[in-house]
Amino acid sequence: MTETLTDETATQALSTAPQGTQPVASRNRVRSLWRSLTSMRTALLLLSLLALAAVPGTLLPQRGLNPVKVDVFFTAHPSLAPFLDKLSLFDVFAAPWFAAIYLLLFVSLIGCLFPRIRLHARALRRKPPAAPKRLERLAIHDTWDADGDAQAVVANARESLRRQRWRTTELREEPGGAWSVGAEKGYLRETGNLVFHVALVVLLTGIALGGLFGYKGTVLVTDGGSFSDVPSSYDVFTPARLGSESALPPFAFTLRKFTASYQPNGVPKSFHAYVDYRSTPDAPSRPYDVTTNRPLSIAGTDVYLVGHGYAVHIQVRDKSGRLVYDKATPFLPDDAMFTSHGVVKVPDGLPRQLGLTGFFYPTYEPTPFGAQSSYPGPAAPVLTLAAWQGDLGLTSGRPQSVYSLPVASLKNIGTKTIGPGQTWKLADGTTVTFAGVSQWATFQIAHDPGSTVVLVAAVFIVCGLLSSLWVRRRRMWVRAVPLDNAGGVRRTVVSAGGLARTDADGFATEFESLLRRMKD
Amino acid sequence: MPTAAPGVNVSLAHASDLLFTWTVLVYAVAMFGYSVEFAFARIARSRGDQAGRPEQIGRVAVGLTVVGWLLHLGSVVTRGAAAGRVPWGNMYEFSTMVALVAVTVYLVLLLRQPVRFLGAFVMTPVVLYLGLAGTVLYAPAAPLQPILNSYWIKIHVVAAITASGAFMVSGVITLLYLTRTWLDRRASMGPGTAAAVEYHGFARWLPSAERLDRLAYKVIGFAFPVWTFAIIAGAIWAKYAWSRYWGWDPKETWSFITWVAYAAYLHARATAGWRGRRAAVLSLVGFGCLMVDYYVVNTVISGLHSYAGVN
Ligand code: HEM
Repeated sequence: MTETLTDETATQALSTAPQGTQPVASRNRVRSLWRSLTSMRTALLLLSLLALAAVPGTLLPQRGLNPVKVDVFFTAHPSLAPFLDKLSLFDVFAAPWFAAIYLLLFVSLIGCLFPRIRLHARALRRKPPAAPKRLERLAIHDTWDADGDAQAVVANARESLRRQRWRTTELREEPGGAWSVGAEKGYLRETGNLVFHVALVVLLTGIALGGLFGYKGTVLVTDGGSFSDVPSSYDVFTPARLGSESALPPFAFTLRKFTASYQPNGVPKSFHAYVDYRSTPDAPSRPYDVTTNRPLSIAGTDVYLVGHGYAVHIQVRDKSGRLVYDKATPFLPDDAMFTSHGVVKVPDGLPRQLGLTGFFYPTYEPTPFGAQSSYPGPAAPVLTLAAWQGDLGLTSGRPQSVYSLPVASLKNIGTKTIGPGQTWKLADGTTVTFAGVSQWATFQIAHDPGSTVVLVAAVFIVCGLLSSLWVRRRRMWVRAVPLDNAGGVRRTVVSAGGLARTDADGFATEFESLLRRMKD
Repeated sequence: MPTAAPGVNVSLAHASDLLFTWTVLVYAVAMFGYSVEFAFARIARSRGDQAGRPEQIGRVAVGLTVVGWLLHLGSVVTRGAAAGRVPWGNMYEFSTMVALVAVTVYLVLLLRQPVRFLGAFVMTPVVLYLGLAGTVLYAPAAPLQPILNSYWIKIHVVAAITASGAFMVSGVITLLYLTRTWLDRRASMGPGTAAAVEYHGFARWLPSAERLDRLAYKVIGFAFPVWTFAIIAGAIWAKYAWSRYWGWDPKETWSFITWVAYAAYLHARATAGWRGRRAAVLSLVGFGCLMVDYYVVNTVISGLHSYAGVN
């Protein structure tokens, strides 16, 4: 500290930080516990702990991020993993000890905010402190002679400080005919600091709101297909922990067309899902282009484009030529070039149930090791199919994935590689036609009622921080002492002193320019 | 050498690489000039000689820094123009931008305060950092992946880079502060008085511990809100891109850890018994976390953030 402290009250550190709480031997244990919980030292400790506690969450695989990696870890370290799991180290950010740290931190924060707000409100109402006795002992000070009467000189100084938007005391008469004034500026520093800390609490509230009342789900929609916002139409749905999904009437959309473009090396350039949506069942239908970074927002619910792939249009006819199957089936991509696999099930209309497993190559390239796709766009689409006959097991009652076929219990009746428009004729006269390809897109649909609160709090956090760190709180005093009158001209000695908590470099310049105005 | 990606202007990309090389050379000469001034000006003055010659060299070093800065800016701009996008899409571009901000922060400080003593200490890591960026992290110019193609990336990444460049400068000042307080303590324990400290050892070349501490605080006071803003902008971008604003992805988590470490530093400065060296150590911990965030997370721990650009 460079400030040479003089009068304690006037030149005390310009901070409302709780100053080192002495562990007073209080009979009231609760109160002293509360006091140490809300001390700066505890806040510091908890902040450090919070940072430390987050580290394992980035070093070990986390269930919330990648459950598959957690399983791999379990297989690789069968004795260590269950132990780590007991400590919630695979769910660090949902772990009870992690929650304990941040909840304690926020209790501490709220606890220390009340007295600080009270103190600051008082400081805002109160006048700045009166001048200490010896201004020349302050780190920044100056003395000069002026014409005129001491009271008028100080009144002038006060006026010029007020014009610079300093808050000032009344003029004070001191023994010996001297006059003085005190001034202070930069209250916004503490205001900003309080705004920042309050906004942190609000931010956490917003996060909690989203965690309790938010829901999300994903759905796959093929070109031309539709979706309506009711839980049963999702493929995967995570309901809200509290409250119902939505009190609002469901919105709906139809995927008109999905398109993707790529660089020649296959790296994606852009994705677009062109949809027509209705925000309520009887609202007019409107078009929207859902792309990366541009979700569709409907009444607080956001629809995101999160994945895409190819749907293979297959027609199956019986030996008399009657159409028994005519659908676009989504195939799931296996690699970045969209080699995809899928299954078609034709349970009805044929003498025996028929199943098809296939690989789809948007850009077919035969290699010595088998076929592959060499580009993710449909430049040379080819379908390889294997046909299976037998009981598809659809009536067994056991749930079955639409992407798998119980081939172990079926009979293979041939394989074939065909292009779009081509037809494969099976031995029994059944024909399979590769009628074309379309695309599908997966959408993540998320409702987070806390996100607006979080956003607003975040804005206040930044504004609060800016004024907390960039505004300087500073005090200044001016005193005029009359000289013995020589020859009828009133003369005074003026002294001024200043005090800034931080960043004295900038204050010296400001101090000089303030004095220049006063001396004019 | 792979062939240039389509949509890349090859001659501009070449120009950018050439400017980059010149930047490193000019910075290196400036670094040498600052070191000469640092080593000889005070020695000369303490002997009662005029420090004219070393100080002249110091001023030339500032001139060279400005020239280097312009070349550096040119390199970044041509890089962006070559790829037809903002010039911060991979780790090489990231690193050179961070160095550019560090030099900018030093030059801005120099406009307001006599901080030429910092020259050698800022330029040394900048030159090393650029050397690393130009060799290990180098990636040829290429367009962005669609997920990175949003105006939030511009806001988020510019803020993150700005804060990081400033944190780098504050880290350098903090190291000098710790050195200075260590020397002061040693001197005060040994024979001699406070006055003796001024004239013995490395300490006499450095400003007072008090001044270094304030300087570091000032720079962190600038960088911290910018870093906070970067995290928020990142969260907004994540909301658009990944449907959630926060998901404890490793990159997000290390940004958060860095933020908390610097918040702890700011608190330590206001906590009795923690001001000074302990607070300084906390800010260096913060800087360490920042480095983990950029380099360890991008290369070792992989998450959703996909812009490393190195394999
Ligand atoms: C959620 C955790 C918290 C964060 C991220 C946080 C962050 C910050 C930041 C960035 C500052 C600005 C420092 C400056 O002006 O130099 C600050 C100041 C301050 N914080 Fe916190 N804070 C947290 C919790 C707390 C708690 C629990 C307390 C109460 C004990 C507290 C008390 C203070 C005080 C008194 C100051 C002003 C220090 C001064 O006068 O310079 N903070 N905090």
